[in-house]
Amino acid sequence: MSSASGGSTARRHAIVGIGQSRLGEVGDVTAIGLMTEAILNAAEDAGIDKGEIDGLVTRGPDDIYCHHQEVGKALGINARFSTTLDNGGASQCLAVAMACMAIDAGMCDVVVCGYGRDQWSRTRERRGSRQGSMRRNVENALQSREFGPEYGYFGAIATHALGARRHMHMYGTTKEQLGEVAVAFRDHANRTPWAQMHGRPLSAADYLGGKPVVDPFNRFDCSLRSDAAGAVIVMSEERAKHYRQRPVHIAGWGTANNHRGWFYDDHMVSTPARDSGARAFEMAGIRPSDIDVAQLYDCFTYMVLTQLEDYGFCAKGEGGPFAASGALRLGGALPCNTSGGQLSEAHAEGMLQILEAVRQLRHTEDPMRQVADAEFALVSGHGGNTVCHSSLILQAAS
Amino acid sequence: MTYLKPLPVGASSLSRSFWQYCKAHELRVQRCSRCGHHWFPPQTICPDCWSREWEWQLVSGRGRIFSFVVYRHVYHPAFSDDLPYCVGVIELEEGARMLSAITSPVDAIRCDAPVHVDFADVTDDVSLPLFTLTAVT
Repeated sequence: MSSASGGSTARRHAIVGIGQSRLGEVGDVTAIGLMTEAILNAAEDAGIDKGEIDGLVTRGPDDIYCHHQEVGKALGINARFSTTLDNGGASQCLAVAMACMAIDAGMCDVVVCGYGRDQWSRTRERRGSRQGSMRRNVENALQSREFGPEYGYFGAIATHALGARRHMHMYGTTKEQLGEVAVAFRDHANRTPWAQMHGRPLSAADYLGGKPVVDPFNRFDCSLRSDAAGAVIVMSEERAKHYRQRPVHIAGWGTANNHRGWFYDDHMVSTPARDSGARAFEMAGIRPSDIDVAQLYDCFTYMVLTQLEDYGFCAKGEGGPFAASGALRLGGALPCNTSGGQLSEAHAEGMLQILEAVRQLRHTEDPMRQVADAEFALVSGHGGNTVCHSSLILQAAS
Repeated sequence: MTYLKPLPVGASSLSRSFWQYCKAHELRVQRCSRCGHHWFPPQTICPDCWSREWEWQLVSGRGRIFSFVVYRHVYHPAFSDDLPYCVGVIELEEGARMLSAITSPVDAIRCDAPVHVDFADVTDDVSLPLFTLTAVT
């Protein structure tokens, strides 16, 4: 534990409410519908009225233009401050930071940060038709139109698998070590009643027997296709005192980008988590060893290993052995993705990891899934064509 | 036989130039006239020094595999007969990195292995710069 310090913005804001939608194979929903479901749940959790919300930072599927405007319309709120970020999976942690900055600038007082998608429903819609499958895979908004498809290069799985392969080559990382990430998070999902993979155990042998997709990844290295949404309510510490939940403090944040690209330099094995994390730790005035629970962006197993290194929980190249030691398990040295992450809880572009961090810091969970006496949580966001990163450090209410 | 795989889009005059050179079996990447930096994919300015002066440099075609993946699942039906197939990031001798297909048997492919360009004339108008393992003698 270390004394609070950091920049002028540290510990001046709090999260007072969290809410999620139904998760997983929900069906018959829209992304906006799920988003509003999560936001209403967050407002109820906080004990907050519609009329108090004056800021929105929301996001959803890339083909929804001006997502925040669609959310404002559905909520019936003419928000004073409203925007959609465009950092891929790094948007959600950055959204909370943006909320704090907007509040500090006097632009708004009560901000909803949220993300929601209907990916499971969309996939099911198209599964019947071969044309539909092609469209899904080939015309993905993220898919580059040239210098890729000509060679058969499609999908975020392949992009991240390139990084995993390079890491395996440089540091001797093994499939078994990647598998420990999947197995640990599946265990956590099995302690989380609402998780999409709850009730579906995964052993190390199960992992190794997984259907190959793009080597070195099999299906268990890949995050879920989900209908899922999550939202949090952010306000100043001063205002937060008046609401029903013990506020979780926003102790620090950071962001960084490797815009030169995933193929450039050592970017595949050394991500902007390093600089983003360093900024967050500095703002919060703490060290990696002060983190009691981590929620790391797990689009793929490999990204967890490299983030463990880049955040300084272990040396570069040692993420595999660190995971294999059991450190990521509840009860281990660094319990990680304690609701199952995007690999096993549901994929809402990292938003549910913010919710789970808040849950852990409220100390409200069943002992089988609660990190005892958790004081500091780290949440990470990765994405935007693999080059964007953001970090949040949250602190339990005192 | 109709070619069913995605063809180069030629989204800009820059990328069209790249593909025209490929049709002539010349692998060329942009080289900055001011600072000598090589970059790919094509763009209008040098990302190192912002110079707008550059040239299409004929490169040796030799490089090493920086990383690679092997597809074992069909993403695009036109590639289903190719499974398993390899796509990799090749670091060219001159420094730029380029993604392409690696046509050697997938089980032989390794990071850092030397490769060289091997153009494939897939249509009357299009040749793709594919890569293959260089035999070490």
